[in-house]
Amino acid sequence: MLEVRNLKASYGQVQVLHDISLTVPKGKVVTLIGSNGAGKTTTMRAISGMIKPAAGQVELAGKNIAGLPSHKIAKLGLAHSPEGRKVFPTQSIMDNLLLGAFTRLSMGGGRPKGDISSDLDRALDLFPRLRERQHQLAGTLSGGEQQMLAMARALMLNPDVLLLDEPSLGLAPILVDEVFHIINRLKEQGMTMLLVEQFAAAALAIADYGYVMENGKIAVHGPAKDLQNDPKVVAAYLGGGH
Amino acid sequence: MEILLQLILSGIALGMIYAVIAFGYQSTFATSGTLNFGQGEALMLGAMFGLSLAGDVMGGPYLNYWLMIPAVLIFGALQGAVVEAVGVRPAIKTKSEFGWIMSTIALGIIFRNVAENIWGKDDMPFPSPLPTSPLHIFGANVLPMELMVVVGAFLMMILVELFNRKTIYGKAVVATASDRDAAGLMGINTRMVITFSYALSSMSAAFAGVLIAPITLTGASMGAVLGLKAFAVAIIGGLNSGMGIIVGGVLLGIAETTTGFYISTGYKDVPGLVLLLFVLAIKPSGIFGKTAIKKV
Repeated sequence: MLEVRNLKASYGQVQVLHDISLTVPKGKVVTLIGSNGAGKTTTMRAISGMIKPAAGQVELAGKNIAGLPSHKIAKLGLAHSPEGRKVFPTQSIMDNLLLGAFTRLSMGGGRPKGDISSDLDRALDLFPRLRERQHQLAGTLSGGEQQMLAMARALMLNPDVLLLDEPSLGLAPILVDEVFHIINRLKEQGMTMLLVEQFAAAALAIADYGYVMENGKIAVHGPAKDLQNDPKVVAAYLGGGH
Repeated sequence: MEILLQLILSGIALGMIYAVIAFGYQSTFATSGTLNFGQGEALMLGAMFGLSLAGDVMGGPYLNYWLMIPAVLIFGALQGAVVEAVGVRPAIKTKSEFGWIMSTIALGIIFRNVAENIWGKDDMPFPSPLPTSPLHIFGANVLPMELMVVVGAFLMMILVELFNRKTIYGKAVVATASDRDAAGLMGINTRMVITFSYALSSMSAAFAGVLIAPITLTGASMGAVLGLKAFAVAIIGGLNSGMGIIVGGVLLGIAETTTGFYISTGYKDVPGLVLLLFVLAIKPSGIFGKTAIKKV
């Protein structure tokens, strides 16, 4: 469904991604783990068009999307819940969710409209905390609630592929569990996902396949089960015992 | 006492004009962080275009005042889109931080020169759509057109606010203003939103032009001072506060009319500028301006 080949990206003169290649098959969950600064978020941003890759291909359902602006990539069915949540603070939760469905609600938006109200219902069922607060401004939500809103907003695109960048970052432990529980439910529903996570153990437990990044390169990859037992991966990323 | 009331009422009408122009500054600043320093010229072009349609300067009148307004709004929107495409987009693209300042000023000067050559340098009267004899309100004389200015200004701001709150396109504009990156991820073409905000900005200036023209005179140089004072209003009120520009505009309008009467018309521009300096010294984000709070 999502195929990244030899992706390179730079910030100014500094090359931060070196020939990243990864595959996210339809209906599977793939995780990207690695230490801070390894280039996980940059990879996500290069895939969704938030930054322009310097070279390489990104294929979404067989179509090369590398270098397209993010709004065109969204139209083609890729949703990205970005690092730092980036909810729209001055607008209500409901407005944030409707904006997630912008490509379905606007003329020439590019995505089939479908049943917006039942999708809203589904998103709010998944995140009941948001239902109670749907008329509240997003900026007044706690960090955990904002994270849930960012995920729910991404789902409103009705995406073919969902990128989740650090959904547990900065959350209280009980909310981390809730977020992973929700990711699991999305997996059961057959959602194709690329997940960047600091909690490598939890991410590998949910994922089908994993890539480990180091210094802007893919260092190791393999089925998540194998990575969980790989002594090097365990020592470097799972040793903390989250 | 009647005189004071009259000065206040005239000041409010003038202030609402400033508010409408300042509203245009806010609209582009919110989405792109840039301003159209040719905003005064956008007002002048709107008034001139309106005069050509509703007056007899170009062999007209072709339309009456009320039918002329939609035509002027469309004209203003197109003019704003041109300013954005020619003056602002290249500067944003090359990440030139200040290029847009020079290019919007330059475009403003070009527009003024073009207007001088088309319509001449002399000021011309603009036919008033309403009776020119004043109404008596609590003993004060108020021109019907002054009331029209206040009503028109509020109407425009309410319509834009409704658009922003109730339609998905308006929500997309607000979203672009608060986070361009995230708006792009939603599938919103943020470059188009910026073009739109320039169109809206010049459209409101053009509207202000045909509102004020029947009270003052119409001429190629009418916009420069209005544009500058509206900029002061945007700074005084706060570049991100809708309430701020109304309060700031009315404050400045009343300060001008009262100074003009009680002190000297020669000094009527002084209090507003003193107020501007004062606000910049005490609260640089404007009286109602919010410093952006970001929750991490």
